[in-house]
Amino acid sequence: MGGRYRDSCCIENSSEFIFFPKFESALTNERDARKYTRKLSTLNGVTVDISRTSRIAKAVAVAGSLALLATGCGGSNNAADEQPASADNPVTLTVTTFGTMGLDALYAKYESQNPGVKIQATNIDTGGNALTDWKTKQAAGAGLPDVQAVEEGWLGQVMAVSDSFADLRDYGAGEISSQWVDWKVQQATDDEGRIIGYGTDIGPMGLCYNADLYKKAGLPSERDAVVELFGGDNATWEKFVDVGKDYVKASDEAFYDQSGFVWNSMVNQLGEGYYKADGTLNIEGNTQLRERWDLLADAASNGLSSGQTQWDWGKGQAFIDGSFATMPCPGWMLGVVKGQIEGAGGDAASGWDFADVFPGGPANWGGTFLTVPTTSEHPAEAAKLAQWLTSAESQAAAFEEAGAFPSSLEAQQSEAVTGANELTKFFNDAPIGTILASRAEGVKAQFKGPNDSVIQEQVFGPATIALDSGTDGQSAWNDALSTLKNLDIK
Amino acid sequence: MQPGPGSADPGPAEEENIFMSTLTNKPPGSGTGHLRRKARPASPTPEKLLEERHSGPQRRRHLFSRLDYKYSPYLYISPFFILFGLVGLFPLVYTFVVSINDWDLLGGAGDWVGLENYAAELSSPLFWNSLFNTFSIFLLSAIPQLVIATFIAAMLDQNLRAKTFWRMSVLVPYVVTPVAVTLIFSNAFDEKYGLINNLLQLVNLDPVAWKTSVFPSHLAIAAMVNWRWTGYNALILLAAMQAVPRELHESAAIDGAGMLRRFFSITLPGIRPTMIFVIITATIGGLQIFTEPKLFNASSSVPGGPDRQYQTTVLYLWDLAFNRGDFGRASAVAWMLFLIIILIGVANFLLSGKIASSGEKRAGRRPMRRGRNASRPGMTGKPAGGQDMTETRRRDHG
Repeated sequence: MGGRYRDSCCIENSSEFIFFPKFESALTNERDARKYTRKLSTLNGVTVDISRTSRIAKAVAVAGSLALLATGCGGSNNAADEQPASADNPVTLTVTTFGTMGLDALYAKYESQNPGVKIQATNIDTGGNALTDWKTKQAAGAGLPDVQAVEEGWLGQVMAVSDSFADLRDYGAGEISSQWVDWKVQQATDDEGRIIGYGTDIGPMGLCYNADLYKKAGLPSERDAVVELFGGDNATWEKFVDVGKDYVKASDEAFYDQSGFVWNSMVNQLGEGYYKADGTLNIEGNTQLRERWDLLADAASNGLSSGQTQWDWGKGQAFIDGSFATMPCPGWMLGVVKGQIEGAGGDAASGWDFADVFPGGPANWGGTFLTVPTTSEHPAEAAKLAQWLTSAESQAAAFEEAGAFPSSLEAQQSEAVTGANELTKFFNDAPIGTILASRAEGVKAQFKGPNDSVIQEQVFGPATIALDSGTDGQSAWNDALSTLKNLDIK
Repeated sequence: MQPGPGSADPGPAEEENIFMSTLTNKPPGSGTGHLRRKARPASPTPEKLLEERHSGPQRRRHLFSRLDYKYSPYLYISPFFILFGLVGLFPLVYTFVVSINDWDLLGGAGDWVGLENYAAELSSPLFWNSLFNTFSIFLLSAIPQLVIATFIAAMLDQNLRAKTFWRMSVLVPYVVTPVAVTLIFSNAFDEKYGLINNLLQLVNLDPVAWKTSVFPSHLAIAAMVNWRWTGYNALILLAAMQAVPRELHESAAIDGAGMLRRFFSITLPGIRPTMIFVIITATIGGLQIFTEPKLFNASSSVPGGPDRQYQTTVLYLWDLAFNRGDFGRASAVAWMLFLIIILIGVANFLLSGKIASSGEKRAGRRPMRRGRNASRPGMTGKPAGGQDMTETRRRDHG
């Protein structure tokens, strides 16, 4: 498979190089050139002819160009006759990841367990940059690694070109698919039933809340009591807004940081979001979506939103100055919150906690898959590596390293995940691992269309900001629809 | 042009031959050629030459040399054209090809759609919005920037203590990478926690929505551009000012022209061609502005502000290509931007042509006047005294 293009390129016609080099001409000026002409015509035979040097130059050029072609063809290989890697048959696998996935130590371990395999890992700082990197290489059709990490947010775009990823069922993904939470595997399955990614981490959502601020506002602040406050297993967004209104009344401060994350959670937990399962747009006339939008507008107009800038929060200040008291938190957000608070000079005493409840039912935000692009020259080895990196043991190790909550059911139960760590200490000793495992139950794998992320960011992103800055729900919704039209999204 | 065999001088040719054989590692005495040369008279007869000319291999060589002589110069200058073709012309043409197709970033080429992409963009409010933002930011940055740069240059043109220090310090902002500039300014212009709004609130003014309203955001971005480019332009203008003949200033001073009058009547006209250059480069740079608006609100989900308040055309086309994945329309935008810049470039060219020609007239008059000046001291004593006066004044300054 990998050798499809490479084989043909070796039979390159290099004749174009033959006329090209007359280097001695390049070395002489016009007058010398004239002399040679003269000499050649006057003294037949004696001449040490120009064409000899020219022949040498020609030979050099041809050899050079062949060398170039040869390097271009280097390592032409066929997936069909791919030999397993061994000390005699060394294989270099390239891996591209992003953010903090906690895989670095695992690479070394895999190399030592599998002689002959060398891993060349590239880690890109953020998911956004990694998306640009992947898209550029995917568009160019070259430069993709053997193992490519893919974020849940890109799934819509990835699935549009799912046939450029290897079907991991060919390498045994079907037999082991029960090791993951079921919806993680569904997310990685395309409409033809091909499994194109092994799940690494997931982002089940709970509520981050500030116990000190809740107490001050006369609300329950104990973790279990907060779960009850929001309605436990039957928590709804209506209840969430009601609690928020009470909080705002009592404290005269905002309830949550900004409307964008709340809206994304509201949409992502639905059976069908911005797209219907058949791939058609599902926004205009979608009453389910519209009801939630009106609820959000009601909340914002009642001062529930602090109108913070996403991902900025005043460089973390807003987490410690009481600007807001609640935030929808996927598992990985806990690390972000911790970083923000510490960046602004706060610590565990700033009162934040994590509750095992989420309005509107279970929700997931983010998470990653390891895929094998079809351009890989060693798809079997790459799939083997990806499978190992997403095994229960590896996922538990990655959680310890970077806090990436595992999608593997077995890893979720492991001591490393359920036990205490830096993060649990920061969040008032909340049993984060156990809470997240419970939050991961019942998540729906929503169909993501090719422009899902564009709609979320460019259509509803500005609209939620507009809600936060006082626009009424109806006109913000209309603005969103007209943006959708302007962007020409189909 | 072509030295024929008849014009040959056999003597030096032979020497060359020996030279050539050493060059190619062939001992002069080796080979059949040498033997034949020995057997032959040193200078060939014209008949023999004729015969040689018609002999097969020789003629081929001759032809080769002729081709070499005639066409190899094209080979020598070809690297530029090859490079230009590769990185200049080809992308331009290819972009056009992409722009007339329905082209998806990941899916690749789709159907041929003619000029539909252009029509779609021309009727898209987002495209016009980006053009408006680009020109607005451009005007807000270019005009104050050039005024201030001229002022700074005029100041630096004076007799200052520690000249080099001042000149270096106006250039420092230019050395700082735009990304760093943007990060710092973006922080200072933050709406809730930024330095500038804090200061405004300190003096009981309302905070300004630097990142979410149109005009303030343009001002903030223009401020970054100005901060970075003013010093650079000032130095270029300073160099031009120093080329303005001093004696013009002196004679004007003698005639009683004040500082301002001399600046507007001598300095400014004198630096006009340079001014045009600075304006052209500022225009090209201004229409392609990307980094500042992109990073001004890096966390914004829409590049260039939540409601595209400061989404410039280049930013818009980047978003179109890489976020929305519509290569066809992005290429159409790229081409339209290209045409706009060319249009403005042509306008600039015509304008600068006019000004340059008027400058030439001026320059044509100048030597005359200078000549008159130079001849004056011999005729009357008065100007000589004037010169002395300026000399003294200069010394006073120093």
